[in-house]
Amino acid sequence: MTVSDRALRIAIAVVALAGVAVAGYLTYVHYQPDALICTSHGGCETVQESSYAELAGIPVALLGLLAWSAVVVLVAWDSELARTLVAAVALGAAGFAIYLVTLQAFVIDAWCIWCLVNDLVLVPLLAILAIWRVLRTPEA
Amino acid sequence: MPPKPRKPPPRRPDTRKRNLLIAGAGAALVVAILVVVSVVVAGGGDSGKATTSGAASSTLFEGIPQDGTELGAKDAPVTFIQFEDLQCPICRSYQEDGFSDIVREYVRPGKVKLRFAGIAILGQDSEKALRYALAAGKQGKLWQYVAALYANQGEENTGWVTDDVLEQLAKDVGLDWTQLQKDAASAEVTRQAQATAAEAGQLGVPGTPTFFVKIGNGQPYAVQPTSFSIDSFRPIFADALGS
Repeated sequence: MTVSDRALRIAIAVVALAGVAVAGYLTYVHYQPDALICTSHGGCETVQESSYAELAGIPVALLGLLAWSAVVVLVAWDSELARTLVAAVALGAAGFAIYLVTLQAFVIDAWCIWCLVNDLVLVPLLAILAIWRVLRTPEA
Repeated sequence: MPPKPRKPPPRRPDTRKRNLLIAGAGAALVVAILVVVSVVVAGGGDSGKATTSGAASSTLFEGIPQDGTELGAKDAPVTFIQFEDLQCPICRSYQEDGFSDIVREYVRPGKVKLRFAGIAILGQDSEKALRYALAAGKQGKLWQYVAALYANQGEENTGWVTDDVLEQLAKDVGLDWTQLQKDAASAEVTRQAQATAAEAGQLGVPGTPTFFVKIGNGQPYAVQPTSFSIDSFRPIFADALGS
């Protein structure tokens, strides 16, 4: 399938903006916990309040927001280096997303739907698109 | 005539693969660091041993009248109703944040009394903890026991509300363990829990924590603080107290 570099850039930008929105929301609720309440069908509050929600004092959601924002900036900057860096961020995010999903499944024992949207939908999409962009056949 | 800018040569497949390998290696290194930090810093947080909280073991509740689920002077003009689930981590955040200041600023001087409206919405551990908390109310120490339970709150529905934990905390706050077990299993505690659950349904409580203010014998109305710090509760109490 031939997909233009422009189409891939737009797709990556759309996914990254969705990522900024999701990670932005999760960062907001991390700092404003009253925005969350515990309901009988929700696990977001448990995940957000778990000891794994921060890394050395930095909210994991904020790290995600920074990573997604970096992708937005990098995709706007069209160069070989930017392409490689987007792939690096995407692969790093994919690896860390696997860790976070594993934590939710086996350690925290609760699921945060917004985290899953990020970890199981947006991050894999970004990884596929970013790798595709690096490996794609160059335009003649 | 200036030379025409040349189109960059197409990338060779081996260059692309090399770039991807570099990206992958860098990513793997960063992920490894993040995971190690996460496991070391976050994973080592819980010792698993039951300990009473500062609030439970300190003098926070000392000298304040307690009657079942209520804390504060009987004739306090305002009642602050707290719908809580003892497994709810957001309720624990409230307990750790503004709660102590509310007790000091409003309950101790007799302006406001608190009512623990415990509901069990998150699972079996919630139910068991709630029964024992209500039973502690029979011995006039519900608030100390609730504070101790929050301080030792485990991950949701992992079976953290064990008899050992309940007994240890009961002894820490000075409860009669045998009596507590008896009361926790009583029909009266069941009725009490059911009544609060029904009240939550009538008031449309969406989850926990949910707060209501009741002035005198008036109808309770829902309030939503913007955060759990005392600064967010002050306007709510000022409004209710008419000050």
